[in-house]
Amino acid sequence: MEEQEKASIPDGPQLSAEIRKPRPKKVAELPILERRNWLIHLHYIRKDYETCKTIIKEQLQETQGMCEYAIYVQALIFRLEGKIQESLELFQTCAILNPQNLDNLKQVARSLFLLGKHKSAIEVYNEAARLNEKDWEIEHNLGVCYMYLKDFEKAKEHLNCALQHSKHDLSFVMLGKVHLLDGNVEEAIEVYKKAVEFSPENAELLTTLGLQYLQLGLYQKAFEHLGNALTYDSNNYKAILAAGSMMQTHSDFDVALSKYRVAAHSSPESPPLWNNIGMCFFGKKKYVAAISCLKRANYLAPFDWKILYNLGLVHLTMQQFASAFHFLSAAISLHPKMGELYMLLAVALTNLEDPDNAKRSYEQAVALDQSNPLVNLNYSILLYNQGDKKRALNQYQEMEKKVNKLKDSSNTIEFDPELVDMAQKIGAALQVGENLVWTKPAKDSKSKQRSASAGKPSSTQQPLGSNQALGQAMSSAAGYSKNIQLSTDRCSAQLQKPPSLPLEPEPGAEDITSQGEPERDKRHEKR
Amino acid sequence: MDPLFMACSYFRRRKFQLCAEICTALLEKNPYDQAAWSLKTRALTEMVYVDEVDIDQEGIAEVILDDNAIAQIARPGTSLKHPTTSQAGGPSPAVRPMSQAGRPISGFVRPGTSSGRPGTMEQAIKTPRTASTARPVTSASGRYVRLGTASMLTNPDGPFIHLSRLNISKYAGKPYLAKTLFEYIFHHENDVKSVSLFHQYFLSFSSIKLFNLAALATEHSQFKDWWWKVQLGKCYYRLGLHREAEKQFKSALKQQEMVDIFLYLSKVYIRLDQPLTVLVLLKEGLDHFPGEVTLLTGIARIHDEMNDIVSATEYYKDVLKQDNTNVEAIACIGSNHFYSDQPEIALRFYRRLLQMGVYNCQLFNNLGLCCFYAQQYDLTLSSFERALSLAVNDEEVADVWYNLGHIAVGIGDMTLAYQCFKLALANNNDHAEAYNNLAVLEMRKGHHEQAKGFLQTAASLAPHMYEPHYNFAALSDKVGDLQSSYVAAQKSAAAFPEHVNTRQLIKQLQQHFSML
Repeated sequence: MEEQEKASIPDGPQLSAEIRKPRPKKVAELPILERRNWLIHLHYIRKDYETCKTIIKEQLQETQGMCEYAIYVQALIFRLEGKIQESLELFQTCAILNPQNLDNLKQVARSLFLLGKHKSAIEVYNEAARLNEKDWEIEHNLGVCYMYLKDFEKAKEHLNCALQHSKHDLSFVMLGKVHLLDGNVEEAIEVYKKAVEFSPENAELLTTLGLQYLQLGLYQKAFEHLGNALTYDSNNYKAILAAGSMMQTHSDFDVALSKYRVAAHSSPESPPLWNNIGMCFFGKKKYVAAISCLKRANYLAPFDWKILYNLGLVHLTMQQFASAFHFLSAAISLHPKMGELYMLLAVALTNLEDPDNAKRSYEQAVALDQSNPLVNLNYSILLYNQGDKKRALNQYQEMEKKVNKLKDSSNTIEFDPELVDMAQKIGAALQVGENLVWTKPAKDSKSKQRSASAGKPSSTQQPLGSNQALGQAMSSAAGYSKNIQLSTDRCSAQLQKPPSLPLEPEPGAEDITSQGEPERDKRHEKR
Repeated sequence: MDPLFMACSYFRRRKFQLCAEICTALLEKNPYDQAAWSLKTRALTEMVYVDEVDIDQEGIAEVILDDNAIAQIARPGTSLKHPTTSQAGGPSPAVRPMSQAGRPISGFVRPGTSSGRPGTMEQAIKTPRTASTARPVTSASGRYVRLGTASMLTNPDGPFIHLSRLNISKYAGKPYLAKTLFEYIFHHENDVKSVSLFHQYFLSFSSIKLFNLAALATEHSQFKDWWWKVQLGKCYYRLGLHREAEKQFKSALKQQEMVDIFLYLSKVYIRLDQPLTVLVLLKEGLDHFPGEVTLLTGIARIHDEMNDIVSATEYYKDVLKQDNTNVEAIACIGSNHFYSDQPEIALRFYRRLLQMGVYNCQLFNNLGLCCFYAQQYDLTLSSFERALSLAVNDEEVADVWYNLGHIAVGIGDMTLAYQCFKLALANNNDHAEAYNNLAVLEMRKGHHEQAKGFLQTAASLAPHMYEPHYNFAALSDKVGDLQSSYVAAQKSAAAFPEHVNTRQLIKQLQQHFSML
């Protein structure tokens, strides 16, 4: 832009010759319109906006507002100050002064985009595209506008076009985002892969790719990319959180905690961070610390059901079933479509000696859950303890089905040994253990178990049942912390809104304060 | 029985009305009875006595036109006006809500200390309307008016002493009369005048009288009576001559060390905006009077105002060691524990207040909150119920409903939460926090326009809160309206500079703007 202006300077030297008298003769006489463009430019690129503005003002007065470059820079400064509306008006003036200049049109469109008027922005961009077909910027911005208008197909088209014109990190990021919004994870990963190839040192891109892999369950690759991200930017909050949660999954709690310490320094009010720290403590069996961390997380983000889920879990472990019930029911009302929540609720209810409601809750859990054998196993145990062997058997068979399905879908899957153990016991108690899906146990051991459990029926099973649930709960907690990263990067804006709530105790405090007043008066009266 | 003896006895038993009546009868018989006159003066004074040490309500004029502060642009950490924003070890504004002046909310409202000086005229005028804890708009006379009317009722047939007819130099020579007369004028007459429109004029008028009296008396005692120096200092203070007041108090302190003088002197320094000097002074006072509760409380208050919550708590604990029924200390420590994730301990402090007989809406409200966060679910709702039944005005009711709304959020019942916040607004239309939270709930439902409306209301009602600004910025950013987002984010950053998300948002927006 500036260069264009300078290039245009030699065009009109004839105008100014007689007007500029006070100047010494040896200074080259410049055309009045662009006379001080170089000075404006110099101040602008030095970020000396105040001086810049005064010069622009003088210049515009002299030229009666005809100096295009001065208006252009003034508009840029306005935009930097956040006054988009004013800057839009100035850019429009520019566009009127010089309709052939592509930059003016682009800036008008950009201002419209910044003001959230995406449709008008698209129109102006299309106009600009007529002047220059192969402009990366126009294509890219068109794509972004379409993304905001939720027209993903067109957005993809334009972004791909932009990438063909010139490769740029921003376009990659946006294209990946569009794919994600469209629900197309594989495509998104492809895009991010290309992006990482193009600029291998961009920590943001590396982190995003790592998170995508994490979501797909490809831990090795995810860890690789996250590690790379951390080497380039050791304070990257998202990468730290994701890497920490992966370490948590592998029970490497101390290392994870040390990672979190770094993150806590830069963002002390992040709910997911506190949640993960809490779960680290939980893994280290420091339950009180875990509860206080989780509670802080919940205080900062009262709408996050995952934190409530974890709180419920920890309280179940602490055998504080009433509290667990409250947290779980809160989690359910925030996120009603998850079977495991109902299962945990049922476990809490069982321990609160309310088997009827526990059964109802299990029914709900079974109805909602598709793949988790634990739900059926726990339900079966409850039914067995209640003496309803027939339905217990039903549930047991359901569980077997689920286990078989899981085994078919992937060979590498490993079941929690506690779960296997428990399933064997209940199977034995129900006398159906013969053709079990667990291949390992030999016949004799099973028969032994059967006799044992037949001998002392429900007394041993009740406590075991609750343990069982907890075993699973822990693993789901780990799985949960994996989820949370996704929530951090995607809806960070939304997660952050809840902090507004912490205000809550304020009236409390205020109140005490106002209580102080009567108190003070009393003192005076006494004297 | 000798009526004068009766009067003395009544006076000792603090039955001032009866005492004054007997004295009046005596004076009718013998108008020159100095003993009766003096006793009546004292009785009338006692009726309206207010501890000078504690009242310190600055009027709007004093606040705005304040040129007493020594340094107008003080270095951080040396002024009450600009306390250090990042406190060491204290909870951040994301956890502990802020008051109007941008300091963490305190556990106890005190005159003049609950909110700092507002920066602008606009803010100062707005203050009392948006927060029930702030000082009144009217000038310092508010308190005096109340007391003044009280004293008017006691003597319907005109004033006991006509100030204008008083021959001050005569009384100044009689020390036993002068002291009572002085106190009478200081506490009693002053107030009567201030009822009228000509408050300021009369205030200065009677102060000049006082001042003359005190000055003459000081001369008569050959500058050896510390009591007169203190009184002279008090007069100077009331006239706004802080430097002279300081001189008098200091000289009195040299003659006689008294707790009161330390407190008066610290008041002067607070008015001069010299918190560090106050701390030094009060600590010096503690050397002479170890364990004196008022001095300890003074230190704790200064720390509290300087955002140094940790040291404030330490001093409040010291206070409790000396006087384990100090309400202010218990309340402050309790709220501090509450905001540092220890609701169980806070509960213990509030329970202590309950045991001491404090029985009001605020206490039950706090008990309810602590119970909820300490998971004593059975007590939560009953506490709030009692708080509602004890609430005396709409603001209190609104606060209780607001907190109930948080409980509802805590148990995940969004409908109930919505209703609670609405009820809070029904009771107090200026409840900015409730507006903000309603906006968050609307946002969750996807009603962006309504949410925006609520947020704008909240932001205009309470510009000191960062939440509505940030929420508005985040919302506008999501919709794509970057200009409003940027403006709101800047406001949020001004209210809470360390907020990570705001900073990230601003950075992101600036990138947008600077991109060519």
